[in-house]
Amino acid sequence: MEFKLEAHRIVSISLGKIYNSRVQRGGIKLHKNLLVSLVLRSARQVYLSDPCPGLYLAGPPGAPLQLPAEPAAGPSAGWGEPPPPPAAGLETEPQPAHPAAPGALRAGDAEPATTVACARDTLQSGEAAAAAGGAGDQAGGSDAFPEGPRETRRDCRCPPGVEGQPGAPGAAPHGDCCAEDEPPAPPPIGPRKRPAAGAGGCGPAGRPAPGSTPVKKPRRDSEERPGRAEEGEEEMETGNVANLISIFGSSFSGLLRKSPRGGGEEAEGEERGPEAAEPGQICCDTAVLRDMSPWSTAIEAF
Amino acid sequence: MAGAGGGGCPASGNDLQWCFSQVKGAIDEDVAEADIISTVEFNYSGDLLATGDKGGRVVIFQREQENKSHPHSRGEYNVYSTFQSHEPEFDYLKSLEIEEKINKIRWLPQQNAAHFLLSTNDKTIKLWKISERDKRAEGYNLKDEDGRLRDPFRITALRVPILKPMDLMVEASPRRIFANAHTYHINSISVNSDHETYLSADDLRINLWHLEITDRSFNIVDIKPANMEELTEVITAAEFHPHQCNVFVYSSSKGTIRLCDMRSSALCDRHSKFFEEPEDPSSRSFFSEIISSISDVKFSHSGRYMMTRDYLSVKVWDLNMESRPVETHQVHEYLRSKLCSLYENDCIFDKFECCWNGPDSAIMTGSYNNFFRMFDRNTRRDVTLEASRENSKPRASLKPRRVCPGGKRKKDEISVDSLDFNKKILHTAWHPNDNIIAVAATNNLYIFQDKVN
Repeated sequence: MEFKLEAHRIVSISLGKIYNSRVQRGGIKLHKNLLVSLVLRSARQVYLSDPCPGLYLAGPPGAPLQLPAEPAAGPSAGWGEPPPPPAAGLETEPQPAHPAAPGALRAGDAEPATTVACARDTLQSGEAAAAAGGAGDQAGGSDAFPEGPRETRRDCRCPPGVEGQPGAPGAAPHGDCCAEDEPPAPPPIGPRKRPAAGAGGCGPAGRPAPGSTPVKKPRRDSEERPGRAEEGEEEMETGNVANLISIFGSSFSGLLRKSPRGGGEEAEGEERGPEAAEPGQICCDTAVLRDMSPWSTAIEAF
Repeated sequence: MAGAGGGGCPASGNDLQWCFSQVKGAIDEDVAEADIISTVEFNYSGDLLATGDKGGRVVIFQREQENKSHPHSRGEYNVYSTFQSHEPEFDYLKSLEIEEKINKIRWLPQQNAAHFLLSTNDKTIKLWKISERDKRAEGYNLKDEDGRLRDPFRITALRVPILKPMDLMVEASPRRIFANAHTYHINSISVNSDHETYLSADDLRINLWHLEITDRSFNIVDIKPANMEELTEVITAAEFHPHQCNVFVYSSSKGTIRLCDMRSSALCDRHSKFFEEPEDPSSRSFFSEIISSISDVKFSHSGRYMMTRDYLSVKVWDLNMESRPVETHQVHEYLRSKLCSLYENDCIFDKFECCWNGPDSAIMTGSYNNFFRMFDRNTRRDVTLEASRENSKPRASLKPRRVCPGGKRKKDEISVDSLDFNKKILHTAWHPNDNIIAVAATNNLYIFQDKVN
């Protein structure tokens, strides 16, 4: 658990550094950002691979399934934007478990945050599946739903070439979404940055990290909008962390390809208020690279 | 004791008593960022000492002739020339500001009365000529002494201008500008032993230049992957072999060094030798990769060894043995348990340099709290010294410092938590022949000498 907290802290710090590097004089320092991304990757791997079986058993019914849960379900308030079309069998399960789960959850901020982020990202079934599938991957037991996630994972639709690059980049995310074993090799960014994080971050994040603060639990019972706003407030850091994880955490490519949108948006998203809304907007189908924010201009330089 | 000082033979680092000689720079507590020294380099004879700073300025100090009446103090270094080498620039195409900070200065071997050096910032290398002028011509026909043109119709007689002595003036003029060859940030330049070419290295590429030709350079190393997603390491430093003009090395952020031979192929992507020490799995942490990144690589004067600096240690490699270094010296091992904090405050990214003494018997590198470390390769002893204004009485001996890693602090020790991580010594230089060292402490340059017995 301590490792998880430490890892989470390192992840937040790393993301902050990458963000700040954009505004430093002299342009982005490739060397430093590469090192930071390596640390980020290590921390993320530790974070995701830390078993914490005890908490997992308590948590899982609620956490991963909050992803696809309807907004009406309390905990997912603030999480689901358009609630994704129900993945096979997944969404139906959590309802009864929800009330129980929240209380037990809440170890690491980032985990629920990543799930939040995933949910925010207009998860499609594939992504939810990937998330759940990812959750299923975790050692420590996806006993709760061994079949469902894997099934749905196969259904995952990872539209290739969302970024307008039907080649390798498109292929990669698809593999990512459907990847069974992701911790060893950091998955490439998915077609939607969040989904990749979803696969990477959300999935395992589906299980609540031990030590998550239970604070958010009660809020989930509130309505969607206010809940989301509040959660957005609170999860600002963690949600942001999660979003940025999806961008930067998997591979260095995140720094180069996704960040024009993600980084820039995250930057704007740093202004708290609309934070909750931001990621959802980001994660849309449009070719994100066309928008030449200064961030992307800087990236283009590389 | 082997290598004891005295006579004409410079001793190694630790048999000497190091004494304060001079300090250059403002005493002001408030340090202007532009004044922070970013590079220090002696020339080949050691008579000139150049510093570059973040403001793009170069200051050259010259050693005064030894004064017979003061045999105890070797010549002092006084300002010889100051000039603005680089200005901040803006790349409009990429919307990027280019810092004027001088990353490296390298002297050329002296071939005539003038001195030449290369200075570089992130993108552009400049060749500067520093020349003295101690005479000026008087009695021009077409202009008068003020420089105003004379009316040709008023000239009734011709005269031959004569040279008259004047106060010494040192002029620095840019002779060559080597620009637009680097997409990434230049981290190293190195003059070849052929005295005609030099290399410049950025994060992903190394270019070979001819000193006379500015519009072309040859790319000799390119480690940029076709797909930047696959980027795993960058070039951190590069240097030519001191004697073999076809050999150079470059270090990477992964802690490896590649030695390349330009005779084997035009593009030296394939190394001739690959130096890497296997990682100790027991010391693995989140930051293992960062602390293994090599920040500096320097050939010994003999050309037989090279030295690399990573975050916590200095390693000496025998060029004939690629599997592991022949020596490893811990600079500040007590920081290993603090890596997370050092990551947070960015200190873990500090790029420390290292240097050899003339005979290659000692090596020196910097640390925090204005400490710097010297390692005697023969006696295997090391010493920690401090560059501080408190120890700045003329010829005051430097007292060895000790850092207490934890627990009980003995008298005269300083605990790790008391170290000032803003006072870092990244740049040091050792006189090529004598026991004189230049240590850059933020905006101050300290010069220490050994006590002549």
